[in-house]
Amino acid sequence: MNDVLHRLVYYSRNRIAGPPEQIDVIIAHILEVSRRNNERVGVTGALMFNDGCFAQVLEGPTVAVEQTFERIQQDPNHGDVLLLACEPVTARAFDNWSMAYVGRSTAGAARYGGIAGSTGFDPVTLTANDLFEILHTLTLEEEEAPARQSA
Amino acid sequence: MDKDNFSDGGADPVARALADLAAGVIAVDPGGAIVLANPCAAGFFSPVDPVGLRLRTLFSLAGVADPESLAEAVEADGARIRLLDGRVLEARSRPASCGGQAITLIDVTRYVHETQRASRDPLTGLANRLEMSERIEALLSVHRRDPGSAALLVLDLDRFKAVNDTLGHPVGDALLVKVTERLRSAVRQGDVLARLGGDEFAVLLPERPQPAAVEALAARLVDLIGRSYVVAGHMANIGVSIGIALIPEDGEEAEKLLRHADLALYRAKSGGRGRYRFFSAGMNEAMEARRTLELDLRRAVALKQFEMVYQPQFDLEHNTLVGFEALLRWNHPVRGLVSPGEFVPLAEEIGLITSIGEWTLRTACREAAGWPREVSIAVNVSAMQFRSDASLLATVRSVLDATGLKPSRLELEITEGVLLNDTDRTLEILHALKALGVRISMDDFGTGYSSLSYLRRFPFDKIKIDQSFVSGSEDAHAVAIVRAVAALGASLGMRTTAEGIETHQQLARMRAEGCSEVQGYLTGRPMSAAAAAGILLEPAGPDDSPALHLASQKEFAA
Repeated sequence: MNDVLHRLVYYSRNRIAGPPEQIDVIIAHILEVSRRNNERVGVTGALMFNDGCFAQVLEGPTVAVEQTFERIQQDPNHGDVLLLACEPVTARAFDNWSMAYVGRSTAGAARYGGIAGSTGFDPVTLTANDLFEILHTLTLEEEEAPARQSA
Repeated sequence: MDKDNFSDGGADPVARALADLAAGVIAVDPGGAIVLANPCAAGFFSPVDPVGLRLRTLFSLAGVADPESLAEAVEADGARIRLLDGRVLEARSRPASCGGQAITLIDVTRYVHETQRASRDPLTGLANRLEMSERIEALLSVHRRDPGSAALLVLDLDRFKAVNDTLGHPVGDALLVKVTERLRSAVRQGDVLARLGGDEFAVLLPERPQPAAVEALAARLVDLIGRSYVVAGHMANIGVSIGIALIPEDGEEAEKLLRHADLALYRAKSGGRGRYRFFSAGMNEAMEARRTLELDLRRAVALKQFEMVYQPQFDLEHNTLVGFEALLRWNHPVRGLVSPGEFVPLAEEIGLITSIGEWTLRTACREAAGWPREVSIAVNVSAMQFRSDASLLATVRSVLDATGLKPSRLELEITEGVLLNDTDRTLEILHALKALGVRISMDDFGTGYSSLSYLRRFPFDKIKIDQSFVSGSEDAHAVAIVRAVAALGASLGMRTTAEGIETHQQLARMRAEGCSEVQGYLTGRPMSAAAAAGILLEPAGPDDSPALHLASQKEFAA
């Protein structure tokens, strides 16, 4: 069972209230905790946060993904969690990220802003695949960004 | 080797150890006879001496229940043996190196009793129902000395059975464990969690906060337990309904409190699931009323308080009486006439609908078979009959055989509710019924989902337009719908019947909109089988059948 990789995609409505700076602090904390936990259990993935919503991709050994998701489900900060997909995969897409974060980068924000503008991050119109693709593209861009800068 | 080998002071250390062993050991030769029993084994069956006997004979002489199959089980692998004096032995058998078998017997009486008295649910580690009762009683006795207040929540998972059925019991069990973890994460230290059984849980809050806080916890649990799960790589979605009883106002005994919380739970569930309800005294009365109705209903079947009445159906093209719809009446000596709307849902819930449905079908077919003309007879079949009567098809066939009614005269009316569940199986039954020659009508069309896909998936013979569209025939929208359904029916080759015709105006309107048949108080009230037979003998209309002369409507009235 441990050899099987699963990828899980969900999003949830944000229950964090407060001014942007405070939200930044909370998110930084969430990321820190989740990176620490994920590294320990071999989970990788990406988190997207924008006005009102979290979207997250988790990938790793079935049991680890399951436990991570269960911890998220018990977190009062996540409301209306919509589990979009949970399926076996052959390879990781976020190999280098214990938890990539694409809520803050300007490029990501602009891209994401576009999505939010056109769809309102609407569960009905965004599929698991859409979300996965968006997160994957954004993290790849972030990975390449420093390379471009140094070039 | 015999018993004396054990008592000779023992030069042989193996024999000595065998004699001192706290477990029973029996050796059986390849022929099935016991050749050795150490003192412990002999002691279990005393005064019967095992040596020389076959296992089944030993068990039989020792008074053990079902000795033959027990002996077989022990020889095959192992089994629990319950002795006459109540002791329980765990028997395990292994093939012996020299042929035959070696059997060990261990007294597990204490262990068995302890498990039976166990206070914990083995799967979740939560308190079980017994333990919960005892904890409530203990709390109540504290309150008798030192008054206080507390709250009891009873939880029942919604849709758990579906998950269990589709993903299997191991996943179902794992899901229950996850539910338990979430419950634990939401309650405070000192609160008592229990699994009452199956998918039912309870939470006792011994230090009851304000009712608002109890409510907040209930709301939190509904949200928390209702969030998606991932179990063994599968996504699972369940919900929870909660009933709440407050201590001391809702009862001062554990049994009563659990019952009251259960009543509130029942209300929460029937109110649409995924919600919580506090117990109120009114629930008791409502439940009491329901219980009496249930009792009366069960009696009604036995006392034959049901009767069938028949409402005429007229063909608008030829203005002739073409059939009757059979309607069920319950005439209770005290309650009077009870409306089907009141008792059919209850009959469905308590599983009486199958026998009532069969009685209805049989009676209607028998009475119609005796009528002087071969008009059609329409009988309602409930969704529950399709679900619970595995042999609905066989029932219809046997009724047709027994009553001699031509299958083509029988028309079964179903609502779309029938098609909502297990559609493939349902369609199979419907096609088989049609193959018998029986006709199928879609009843109450326009009231539910009115999904056109149902009309595409099965070739109904008739669509019955709900009476709300007829009585609303002053309303342009209702008329448009009637027109559309009539046209739809015509193009699909299905007849359309407008129900609930009460005025001449409505009749004219339905005729103008293209409905093929009508039924209602204007054209004939429900009447007894004899009155129906009488009408069929009346002077015929143009087509040799009683005509739709509106002047004669009084005669149609029962």
